[in-house]
Amino acid sequence: MNSKRIRLWDLPTRLFHWLLVLAMLGAVVSGQLGGNLIDRHAVIGLFILGLLVFRLVWGVLGSTYARFAQFFPTPGRIRAYLKGEWQGEGHNPLGALSVLALLGLLTVQALTGLFSNDDIAFVGPLFDLVSKDLSNRLTGIHHLIADGLIILVVLHIAAIAFYVRFKKKNLVKPMLTGWQEGEGKSATGGGPVSFVIAVLIAGAAVYGASGVWLPEPPPPPPAAETPSW
Amino acid sequence: MKSKLLLALLTVAVAGSAVAQVKPEDAIKYRQSGYAFMGWNMGRIKANVEGQYNKDEVIKAANAIQAIANSGMGALYLPGTDKGKGWEETRAKPEIWTDKEKMGKVATDFVREANEMAKVAATGDAAAVKMQLGKLGGTCKGCHDDFKVKK
Repeated sequence: MNSKRIRLWDLPTRLFHWLLVLAMLGAVVSGQLGGNLIDRHAVIGLFILGLLVFRLVWGVLGSTYARFAQFFPTPGRIRAYLKGEWQGEGHNPLGALSVLALLGLLTVQALTGLFSNDDIAFVGPLFDLVSKDLSNRLTGIHHLIADGLIILVVLHIAAIAFYVRFKKKNLVKPMLTGWQEGEGKSATGGGPVSFVIAVLIAGAAVYGASGVWLPEPPPPPPAAETPSW
Repeated sequence: MKSKLLLALLTVAVAGSAVAQVKPEDAIKYRQSGYAFMGWNMGRIKANVEGQYNKDEVIKAANAIQAIANSGMGALYLPGTDKGKGWEETRAKPEIWTDKEKMGKVATDFVREANEMAKVAATGDAAAVKMQLGKLGGTCKGCHDDFKVKK
């Protein structure tokens, strides 16, 4: 029997990945089209922020191959990989660099969006906490990073194509099923308790970012007090 | 024949004098003021479609935007005013003066949707106003994307 396989990506990691794919698509489309979709863009942004916080926590509490310590691309690991000496499962050291770059940029993207404005009729949920000038600058960064993210995603997909074509390795299938064919150690850890903790922390972050806790602006003076002209 | 020529010259001179000379710094100020004032009114319409809808408020705001949109603000884009300070440093890109065709199109789109906004506001139909606000905002973005410097 040649049916060796290992548990590589746990279900939360896979859900995170594919939900992020959908959300990023939605964010790019709604951001480019604008108009009334900009409000949808803000909701998607908050959702992405929640996904990111979940993933950061899951990188500590999750199962083996989802952990940052497992795949953190130290210079030693990268050197070994470039010499073709790296052995392991999950994110290889170069892939890990790309993963961290994506997570890092996305985090900055989500955070800058919270304080952004479009000089039309939209402001991010935490816009009131910063000056207009700072908001303008953060909005500029938000636009720049959008391009950077698109480049990273293209690289990500190109790397997958490279693996299929030249290394005869399908990276997409394990991300769908969780299983990887071949020898190795199956992932352990990342039980339901860890999952609940990660979701709760992510939920708290989204609540904080949504700005619903901000004090209500003082009610406008009654109509009778504003001149009718 | 001569008198006709004179008349034509006179007409040109009179028509010319009707265009007040605006200092570049003032032109930039007027531009920025116009957009800021329209921004206030966009926000008013948005607040109305999201909360308690007040037909009169929306009509006032939509009419204000329509008036500014139709005021011929293009006249304030004097050559060389892609640089300079009004209330703040201008964020007008040089492409406004070089890519005239595209600039003309985004400006025309904006005026058309601003006119439509005023029409829709007059009906008092909140759902239609919301739709039109999205369309109008889209034309603002159409210009911001290509012709406004991002900080």
